[in-house]
Amino acid sequence: MKTANRLLSSDSRYVIVVLTPIVLLIALFIYYPAVETFNTSLTNRNLRIRRPPKAIGLDNYVKLVNDDEFWEVTGRSFKVVLITLPLEMAVAFGVAMLLNQRFPGRGAVRTLAILPWMLPGVVNGFLWGWLLNGEYGALNGFLYQFGLIGEYQYWLREPDHQLFWVCVVQTWTRYAFPTIILLAGLQSIPDDLFDAGKVDGASAWHRVRYITFPLLLPSFGIALVVEFIAAFQIFDVVWTLTAGGSAGGAMNPFTKTLMLYNYELVFRDLRIGLGAALSYIILAMSLAVGVIFVMRVYNQGVQEQ
Amino acid sequence: MNLSLRAQERLRLGFIYVLCAIVMIWALAPIYWVAVSSISTRRELYAQPYKIWFPSEPTFESYHTIFTQGAKFRDGTFSPTAHLMSAGLRNSLVISVASAAVVTLLATGAGYAFARMEFRGKNAIFLLIMLMLPLPIWVSLIALFFIMSRLELVDSLLGLVLIFVTLLLPLAVWMMTTFVRDIPAEIQDAARVDGADRWRILYSIVLPLARPGLVAVFLVAMLTTWNNFLIPLIFSRTDDSQPLTIVLTLFIGQYEVAWEDMSAAAVVTMLPPFLMALFFQRYLVRGLTMGAVK
Repeated sequence: MKTANRLLSSDSRYVIVVLTPIVLLIALFIYYPAVETFNTSLTNRNLRIRRPPKAIGLDNYVKLVNDDEFWEVTGRSFKVVLITLPLEMAVAFGVAMLLNQRFPGRGAVRTLAILPWMLPGVVNGFLWGWLLNGEYGALNGFLYQFGLIGEYQYWLREPDHQLFWVCVVQTWTRYAFPTIILLAGLQSIPDDLFDAGKVDGASAWHRVRYITFPLLLPSFGIALVVEFIAAFQIFDVVWTLTAGGSAGGAMNPFTKTLMLYNYELVFRDLRIGLGAALSYIILAMSLAVGVIFVMRVYNQGVQEQ
Repeated sequence: MNLSLRAQERLRLGFIYVLCAIVMIWALAPIYWVAVSSISTRRELYAQPYKIWFPSEPTFESYHTIFTQGAKFRDGTFSPTAHLMSAGLRNSLVISVASAAVVTLLATGAGYAFARMEFRGKNAIFLLIMLMLPLPIWVSLIALFFIMSRLELVDSLLGLVLIFVTLLLPLAVWMMTTFVRDIPAEIQDAARVDGADRWRILYSIVLPLARPGLVAVFLVAMLTTWNNFLIPLIFSRTDDSQPLTIVLTLFIGQYEVAWEDMSAAAVVTMLPPFLMALFFQRYLVRGLTMGAVK
């Protein structure tokens, strides 16, 4: 120990002591299991069937690609993305424009507007499930009291409506993040650009369309990529809003998105090999779409400027 | 155009406050509704049509119920809700505080090394840690479950803390590296010249000056751990380790109709994040946006 101490400078010892636990944790808990999962995806491991797992090459991937349920679930995940992102960006853009104005009490409004983002996703799903409840929900009470509906509605009964409300709740949970990103973008736009626009006689709408919007494209790009991943891998909100089956019963098939399907394959059906393959397909899709998004938004930003 | 400037300004403000009201209703109505439900009597809450919007006799009965009594689970073999709720509260607290403390400690030492020192493999190790940030960790979790089973760390608080610390590391290290970099290098160099070693500098110079950063890392780590659902869903089995987010979903299966009790459980689950968001939002926003915007 004495010699080791003399061989290693005090700086090296510091680095070794602070980085070793970190590198060990990440290697053991992230990278090694990631490789293990991939290896498992090349086998027919299934804990329901008592047999040693056999290497089957890419069969799991082939099986998934030829499976109708896989495409149904994938389509549903993209549907969630395609409904959520525009909704979320519209809400975020509106709130960011509002918070970019000067008015007394702006700080308090900002603090409260961001709140939903900081709450647990499973609680958010529950909050909305209760709000939309067909018998005693507040939405029914409110709309009925003001004569907007003649009788109580079961908002979450129709499969199509369920998916729509999932997107609304996802929007409610996440819109604070794009709002913050867009607000930062708005605040970096110099005021004289708008003044010049005003002098040139551009209407408020034109100023937003031709000055604010193009300059915000990079901010939209960042927000879209982050929110794409969040919506594509939606899980918590669905679990308490519409997934059902928390006591071990069957999962509601109408809001089963990729992550829920993957969870079911691995931890309910115990088809580990197949589930492992699906997890890598989800990873590949997330990365691919993320890269395409970034490139398109940035290219467009470059063209417009 | 013949409005005076003052009237114009008043009109602008009026318009802005109307929009603010809409935003506030959108953001807060679901929260308000669950809070009202949790302090309502069932008779009022189940009125059809409902039109009170604030209970005429507010009561904390539901909170009392979920912590002290409550029927057993459907088939009566699981523990009573009273125990579930207090165990969940304890587990949530232990997991989130312990994970936040450990990750803050590890990230501070590492952040200083990455920000202010040169050593072999520095960039490679930094990349290895940061690569986790954009990659979905779901692929790791599947095999990790079986690794944790072999290590007998499933359904244990220690196992959950280890997983959360690992998942939080990239963001925490990234944040601390940035914060330490913002401390003027001259102060540290002066200490070096005076013969202080790295531990001494870390303890007496970096720690006090990076305190806002430390607080931000701790709060972000605590909030994300408290709110997490997927990790305990996979790695918890019983009330030995189930946090409140899990307990809440068990209640949903159990009480088909007791919405006032479930609302109380939801309020308990979201109260700490809610208070943190109100009082420490500046820190949280800074930390939570940092990971995404590099």
